[in-house]
Amino acid sequence: MFRDLTLGQYYPVDSPIHRLDPRTKLLLTLIHIIALFSARDFWAFAVSAGFLAVCIGLSKVPVGYMARGLKPILFLLGISVFFNIFWTKGEVLWEIWDIAITKEGLIQAVWMAARLVLLIFGTSLLTYTTSPTELTAGLEQGLHFLNRIKIPVHEIAMMMTIALRFLPILTQETNKIMMAQMARGADFETGGLIRRAKAMVPILVPLFVSAFRRANDLAMAMEARCYHGGSGRTRMKPLKYRRADWIALAVAALYLAAVFII
Amino acid sequence: MQDIIRTEHLVYEYAVRNDEDVVESINRAVDDVSLSIREGDFVAILGRNGSGKSTFAKQLNALLYPTGGTVWLCGKDTSDEENLWTVRSSAGMVFQNPDNQIVASIVEDDVGFGPENLGVPTEEIWRRVENALNAIGMAAYAETSPLRLSGGQKQRVAIAGILAMKPKCLILDEPTAMLDPEGRREVLKAVHELNEAAGITVLLITHYMEETVDADRIVVMQAGRVRMDGTPRGIFSRTDEIHAMGLALPPATELADRLRAAGLALPQGILSEEELVRELIRIRPEKSGLEQEAVGAEAPKTPAGAPSGSVLTLSHVSYEYEPGTPMAATGLDGVSLTIRQGEFLGIIGRTGSGKSTLIQHLNGLLKPSRGTVSWNGEDIFGEKYDRRALRGKVGLVFQYPEHQLFEETVIKDVSFGPRNQGLSEEEIRERARLAMEAVGLSEDYDERSPFDLSGGEKRRAALAGVLAMQPEILVLDEPTAGLDPAGRYRLLETLMKLKDGGIGIVFVSHSMEDIAETADRIVVMHGGRVEMEGAPREIFRRGEELDKIGLAIPAVTRIARHLAAEGCPADPDVLSMDEAVRSILAGWKSE
Repeated sequence: MFRDLTLGQYYPVDSPIHRLDPRTKLLLTLIHIIALFSARDFWAFAVSAGFLAVCIGLSKVPVGYMARGLKPILFLLGISVFFNIFWTKGEVLWEIWDIAITKEGLIQAVWMAARLVLLIFGTSLLTYTTSPTELTAGLEQGLHFLNRIKIPVHEIAMMMTIALRFLPILTQETNKIMMAQMARGADFETGGLIRRAKAMVPILVPLFVSAFRRANDLAMAMEARCYHGGSGRTRMKPLKYRRADWIALAVAALYLAAVFII
Repeated sequence: MQDIIRTEHLVYEYAVRNDEDVVESINRAVDDVSLSIREGDFVAILGRNGSGKSTFAKQLNALLYPTGGTVWLCGKDTSDEENLWTVRSSAGMVFQNPDNQIVASIVEDDVGFGPENLGVPTEEIWRRVENALNAIGMAAYAETSPLRLSGGQKQRVAIAGILAMKPKCLILDEPTAMLDPEGRREVLKAVHELNEAAGITVLLITHYMEETVDADRIVVMQAGRVRMDGTPRGIFSRTDEIHAMGLALPPATELADRLRAAGLALPQGILSEEELVRELIRIRPEKSGLEQEAVGAEAPKTPAGAPSGSVLTLSHVSYEYEPGTPMAATGLDGVSLTIRQGEFLGIIGRTGSGKSTLIQHLNGLLKPSRGTVSWNGEDIFGEKYDRRALRGKVGLVFQYPEHQLFEETVIKDVSFGPRNQGLSEEEIRERARLAMEAVGLSEDYDERSPFDLSGGEKRRAALAGVLAMQPEILVLDEPTAGLDPAGRYRLLETLMKLKDGGIGIVFVSHSMEDIAETADRIVVMHGGRVEMEGAPREIFRRGEELDKIGLAIPAVTRIARHLAAEGCPADPDVLSMDEAVRSILAGWKSE
């Protein structure tokens, strides 16, 4: 039933963006975010949009497909535009009763909208072009230096890896337990909040029991395969910066510089 | 050859604590085991659930440390911390649940996990992963997600993960318990190949006798001790002892044993069907011209179901998963079926044939994409139809039902169904008690926590939870999966009793043996369709067709078929062990 359940929204095609090192992509995304928040005028936004457009073009992810991902945040976008238009002081353009629309407000709202849209396209391009496994590897190897300030990077990455592996399994299991309790006459749809919360007990208890059993099994299996934390471990797929990565990073540096200079 | 594993007076004890964390008693899981295993051997460790075989195995690669005695692996003491990683990498272990031992979301990443932990250089890891996947025939799936693999394939990936650590010895802890017959064959074949081709010592822990037939040696454990130790032929000659321990013989051995007990001159320790057929032909009666009267025809099972009972009808039911998406898949394809109260219907098919989808339609958990399901003539998806009430009439027991237990006490858990039916406290209690009685759980179990029960008891408690709603038809999905032979036998017996009490039983399985002896009628599912339907005898006559869709007729039927084909006086239509014994005895002792 959930065999095809994937986490995140990885769009599996082969493209120059897909082939970039995940660390490069993480860095590019970071640069993109910084650039967006320092952009103040039209040209800066134009550079930013241009950079993103090239990336999306190279990535082979259909723009329409990406735009669909915008839907859930349209509401958020609406609110921020609304507040910016009506609550910014400045030169009044129109006035209806007591509500004034100012020139500054309008400009602010447009920039805010542009910023949000570019931000979301930019960050989702990362998840569209990088599989969760690569992303985890990228985070682990890219943030390795954090080890020095006692942040257990390897352990966090291992937790992510395991979560990625077991979330679909637990989703499946939740569905199964729900069906099983429904077969015993459980009702999850009617009643008030408290009743519904209570109705979750027959699902949550077995789910936790199962999660703990699985965790126990997995810990045993990992120990049997000589897992003992990150020290002394080698990698089957070590990340390596290639020429394309250096080019991408150089372009991104120019992009950032351009935004700052403008 | 040298001993790869040696244990001396091995003991493992663990404390049983009560709610206040005070030690109540000390349990001895492994009790004075001294054993030596030669390098390159294929050793099967047999025993019922709870016989200590798993605990013993976990001590061999230092997942558990002995309470007393010593284990030497390749000459190294496992309790010496210095040896830990050498010990664990030279004795790799594969566990029961295929899902819970795969770490990564890509097959090759998972296989590389062990070598990564051992600090093997990158190129060498790739070489090992490739070799390991090749050795178990999973190279084509290197870049696949484990979510897309079958149980048997996942277990093979788990084995590859161990192989990549270059072990000398492979310990498999009930690796086939959660697999379908096909997956079981796959895994066993792979393990035997590794043993023969690569010379890896194999320790196979199982409660399936059939899996031990080809072993070099069998060790039988009971209550933490080694009870028998010898070659398969030797062990299988000691049939009485094996029965006394609650283990089942392979069908051919069992049949031979009973025929010998009745006076046929068969040798001891017959292991395979071919062997039994050969021996029977050797002692076949001289005059076999007389056609034997079919034993099965004596008492034909009438398709039961009193005309007054309830009827569940499916007509042209189709079901599609995630319609309109790229993931759309057909679950059912035009299934028409009638199920009556009082009959025992077996539904058989391979994993993915649509059996589980089918049964979720029987109580309205899934709504057909096309077609109708009706209960006593009423469409259950009609307007205002009370499907929750229907779920009390058509009880559904899912696979591994013990995983849905949640209450503090057994009786409370069993009461969950009746409580949802809105009955009075008195009635709830009465129904719960009756249901528990029906599955053989006495009042002593009422106040116990369901989580403290043994595996078989949990299964029965969960079954009682559905029975307590007093269904007219009871549907069970693989109810015997993971049970040992004694547990399985007990459950089948309970179901037969329930049927005699007037309940309709729908029994879903991928094992012909389970269904052959119990069902009045069999439905064979394949590719979401009803491929065959009929009385067991009719279905089993179509052995070749069954073979084509990956199902096998019961072993006793197969043996009788062989004999009949050789011109021996045996009824090719026997279904059960009893019938086979009667038929062969009648034929062989006719003069």
